Amino acid sequence: MSDISRAPDVGARALLGEAVAGSSNDAAQREESRFREMENGIHQGGGEAKGNPFAAAFHAARTAMLITDPQQPDNPIVFVNEAFCSLTGYSRGEVIGRNCRFLQGPGTDPEVVDRIRQAVAAGDGIETEILNYRKDGTPFWNCLVISPVRDESGALFYFVGSQQNISANKQAELALIQRTDLLEELVAHRTQDLQAALDQKTALLHEVDHRVKNNLQVISSLVLLKARRIQDEQSQRVLHNLAERISALATVHRLLYSVGDVSRFDLAEFIGDLSTDLSALLPAGQVELALDTEPVSVSAAKAAPIALLTNELVGNAFKHAYPDRRRGRVSIEIAKLGNDLRLVVEDDGIGLKEDSAGHGFGKTLIDMMIRQLKARIEWENANPGTRATVVMPLDSEEAQF
Amino acid sequence: MSSGQSLRILIVEDEILIALELESLLQDAGHEVVGIAASSQEAIALSSSHRPDLAFVDVHLADGPTGIEVARSLAGQGVTVLFMTANAKRIPEDYAGAQGIIAKPYTERGVRQALAYVSEGSQETDGGARDQLSFRAGSRGGQAAEPSP
Repeated sequence: MSDISRAPDVGARALLGEAVAGSSNDAAQREESRFREMENGIHQGGGEAKGNPFAAAFHAARTAMLITDPQQPDNPIVFVNEAFCSLTGYSRGEVIGRNCRFLQGPGTDPEVVDRIRQAVAAGDGIETEILNYRKDGTPFWNCLVISPVRDESGALFYFVGSQQNISANKQAELALIQRTDLLEELVAHRTQDLQAALDQKTALLHEVDHRVKNNLQVISSLVLLKARRIQDEQSQRVLHNLAERISALATVHRLLYSVGDVSRFDLAEFIGDLSTDLSALLPAGQVELALDTEPVSVSAAKAAPIALLTNELVGNAFKHAYPDRRRGRVSIEIAKLGNDLRLVVEDDGIGLKEDSAGHGFGKTLIDMMIRQLKARIEWENANPGTRATVVMPLDSEEAQF
Repeated sequence: MSSGQSLRILIVEDEILIALELESLLQDAGHEVVGIAASSQEAIALSSSHRPDLAFVDVHLADGPTGIEVARSLAGQGVTVLFMTANAKRIPEDYAGAQGIIAKPYTERGVRQALAYVSEGSQETDGGARDQLSFRAGSRGGQAAEPSP
């Protein structure tokens, strides 16, 4: 041990260009010659070590630096500069000849130590952050850079290490991590609250949806039960018409809540379903149904008036245009034209009579729905049959879909 | 539309107006309604005593959302079960042994279509009502037409 500690001291002085006094033993001689070789390698032409600017710079550097000798057992420190001493609190005499591991302590990460050990064993450089301890036991975060020094042939001479106290950065980093963790915890907590509120809202919506549907069924049953018990044909027809209108609204509710977005309503799907239902009023094959529908989604608020309107237009065609088993074809077209929606219901049946112009309450209902939707309707003679064209404005969101 | 085959049907529904109207509808279609049950106990008792071919079962009954248990129990007795509900989301993926769901609010056409499916295996949608009906994958119509074991 004593022999080891003396030798590096000699070597260090040699590096600094100081005269190696009393270098009587062989080891010290060898050290000196090796330092000289290194210096000459760096400083072309060599010259006197005394004026070596590299050594002076090394010595005076503000960065803590040390040199170790891997050729000696346990890779001891052979040189440290002033900055190293003031950073660690050790004097030069206390550290020369010792392996750097005395800087480690209870909080040092063994994995980092292992990585350094492996790099040094392989003769590689490494840059890492490690928790080190001063002589007085206080810890500091050390940004450690170790570089191997080789001669021209590639043989390993020394390791140069630089130490930088990054405790302040590290503390800030730790504080940031703690803060981030805290924020994440807060966010998770709020998210949980929001999810709970959303779940409650969804449950409530399902409950309301369920009740609306059930009540529509009760209303419809009530009307149909009455219709069954009434003898007068006229009254029976009125009640059945009413039941059909309720059923058109019911279809809206089935479709409204069957999709995820309860604020939108798929018009094409609805009109397709409703028309198919209404076409079944006539014996199969008598009147063909032709659907030409572009996908249009409208706001849910418009669903009910559109349902009632469509029910009247399409229902009229099937109920009144084809008496006496007359055959034909009802075509329905839905298209978006700029910011308008165009709905065309056309039949090739017997056509409207001049004076009747619709069918009593049905016609009134159509006009009311047109008004509510701020739409226009045009009735034309389709020769044969009737064409009803409805144009209704879409809001900007509806026009997009 | 009428299947020509008369089925013996149990109605499990706690809303009396809905149950009575459905009874009339089924009778008009040529079927026999063997009973109306408002609760799960009534449903299971009526099913045991009357051995219906088919049962229409609502999920929400007088004693809570017990329609699912009723469906399992009745299906276990060999009764063909159709749910009639405004809350199809509550029905498990295996339909609790039922063959299909008629979504409320249903129409007469929806009910007739479902009857056609059950008694003839017809799943054609010419009669409309597509959006009211869903049938269990792999289930076959015609079960009710087979003699009860």
